[in-house]
Amino acid sequence: MSFGLEAEGLVRTFGGLRAVDGVSFQLRPGELLTVFGPNGAGKTTLLRMLGGVMRPTSGQVRVAGAPADVASRDWRHRVGIVSHQSLLYGQLTIEENLRFYGRLFGLTDLKARIPERLESVGLADRGRTPVRDLSRGLKQRAALARALLHDPEVVLLDEPYTGLDPHASKVLREQLASLKDGRHTVVLVTHNLIQGLELADRVAIQIRGRFLSVTDAGSLDLAGFEALYHAAVADHG
Amino acid sequence: MRNYLRLVWAIARKDLLVEFRTHERLTAMGAFVVLIGILFNFSIDSALVRPQDIAAALIWMTIIFGGMLGLGRTFRLEQEDAALSGILQSPIPIAALYLGKVVGNFILLSVMVALVFVVFGAFFSLRFSGSPLTLVGVVALGVLGFVSLTTFFSAMATRSSMGESLLPVLVFPLLVPVVVYGTTATDRLFIGRPIAEVSGNLRMLAAFAILFTVACAWLFRFVIEE
Amino acid sequence: MSQKQIRWAVGVLGALGVATVIVLHWMVFFWVPTESTMGVVQRIFYIHVPAWWIAFLGFGLVALCSAVYLWLGDERLDRAAVAGAEAGMIFTTIGLLTGPLWGRVAWGTWWEWEPRLTLALLLWFIYLGYFLVRRSTANPEQGKRLAAVVGVIGVLDIPLIHVSVTWLRSLHPEAVILSASNPMNLDPSMGATIGVGLLAFTLVFASLFLARYAVATYEHELDLRDATPAGTQGAEAG
Repeated sequence: MSFGLEAEGLVRTFGGLRAVDGVSFQLRPGELLTVFGPNGAGKTTLLRMLGGVMRPTSGQVRVAGAPADVASRDWRHRVGIVSHQSLLYGQLTIEENLRFYGRLFGLTDLKARIPERLESVGLADRGRTPVRDLSRGLKQRAALARALLHDPEVVLLDEPYTGLDPHASKVLREQLASLKDGRHTVVLVTHNLIQGLELADRVAIQIRGRFLSVTDAGSLDLAGFEALYHAAVADHG
Repeated sequence: MRNYLRLVWAIARKDLLVEFRTHERLTAMGAFVVLIGILFNFSIDSALVRPQDIAAALIWMTIIFGGMLGLGRTFRLEQEDAALSGILQSPIPIAALYLGKVVGNFILLSVMVALVFVVFGAFFSLRFSGSPLTLVGVVALGVLGFVSLTTFFSAMATRSSMGESLLPVLVFPLLVPVVVYGTTATDRLFIGRPIAEVSGNLRMLAAFAILFTVACAWLFRFVIEE
Repeated sequence: MSQKQIRWAVGVLGALGVATVIVLHWMVFFWVPTESTMGVVQRIFYIHVPAWWIAFLGFGLVALCSAVYLWLGDERLDRAAVAGAEAGMIFTTIGLLTGPLWGRVAWGTWWEWEPRLTLALLLWFIYLGYFLVRRSTANPEQGKRLAAVVGVIGVLDIPLIHVSVTWLRSLHPEAVILSASNPMNLDPSMGATIGVGLLAFTLVFASLFLARYAVATYEHELDLRDATPAGTQGAEAG
């Protein structure tokens, strides 16, 4: 069986700084990897490379077994990104935003697809609301609808819970849980241990650009992991 | 090919839709055009200088300064909520993103240019006695060259910490051919000289526009990638 | 070439260059005959024309290295481009300062929109843009890439700028009279002096270029050393 998402020796430098320093992992379809790490550990840089937004200094990303280079475009419909920023245009309505992105992804069934997606994130009646009028929680749901519009197999989540109130976090968690259907390969980047652990199949701690370890989440309990994490950050951070 | 054009148009259409909602850039450019027309009026002593003698120069400088005002913001709206990352993650070719921006900006600037001619025509009671179609050709080609370079460098300015203040330094030296050929052709057309006199200008303006649209489309990935 | 060889070459080329510049000045002031129509002021040409040549040689280097840098991403090409740009900008400045000195006497004005002078002025500003862009990004690699793009776009535009400003001058009749004062019929000794000037400036340029290149290489090595301070060597993956 091939891997859903692979990273092989990913390195990214900014001048003298090695923001990501030799990260490798392999995820099978259906697996969710959570990457923990303190601020400035290079988590966002890693995710941007996985999404093909940023060119690695060296190393390679593979999506469904095929090289996912920044220069090539054909693998991109397999990947969706959710960030703590919405990636939406505030001046446009949710529907207009989705229609725009749908066109970029070359989707032709937008008339049927957009209402369906809005329904699935609970925004069915908000399609005509300008994005800037939405609350933080609703905006994040719209961002999720945008990321999943083209049915990606690989979903990359960069601190999706940032700025959400407890209720909105709960709704988002339910929606992320629906990605665990055995088909999606997911990478979640966060510094929140509880939210990060609850859905994870595998867990990595990234510090100073490096993965300290990639472990199965099944063997971890929250208290033990918390102690491990704080020790790791204190040692290397 | 059709799919490519569809992507280009998707970008342009989105930019125009945002502009249609906010009127930000057109308001700024429109106000600039009218106000600069007023200031020019007071800065020219019509007892010594006939406005029609310098009309072409004033018109082109207004197009360039006013255009700068609107085009400098091209990528600002992409950054607001990191939408540019969303576009870069999508399968659209980087060159199509650039060309879409150019198309959107060109349409926006066409509106402004029309206003420039109306305002300056009225303020300085200019009489045009040449071939209107040729004038449209001269202005369209000149503006296309201007738009393709300025759109390109506005992306660069957005990427740099100096922001829009960098734009004139980068673009003005490169715009000299547009100013030279655009202004002289407009001058001649205003006083009704034969079209043959400006055909050379048209060719040079077309060469400039094509060269830089193609070159910038090709180089755009080096500017937009992080 | 190793750094040591480069430093050696900088010294040799620099010494040769300075020696040739001294010879050039001797030729300009004592050897070459005074040009009949323009008089003694024409002697500034022996400085001005070589400076002009180097200004364009420098920019040619910038454009070439920039284009290949964008293509291959080799750091050394970027260093060569910035070295060419800095040395080139110095000589463009010399050209811009010596041009008006001559113009004041020959034309009676400090500044004329003479095509070559205009082009030099614009070239100077393109160089300026190159340096501004380079320093204006948080991520130095991006600054290098943006600067390289400015170099490539600049070299595409320079022929068009040249054609356009020349054409514009040709519309004004006085330009024809002025350009007639160009030294077309060179006395052999004048040609020799120009030749020595070109050689002198090329040697100085080569020395400055290599020196700047070496500095850029040292800067790069320092960056690398800062990036991996000794204290973090132990942070291997567990």
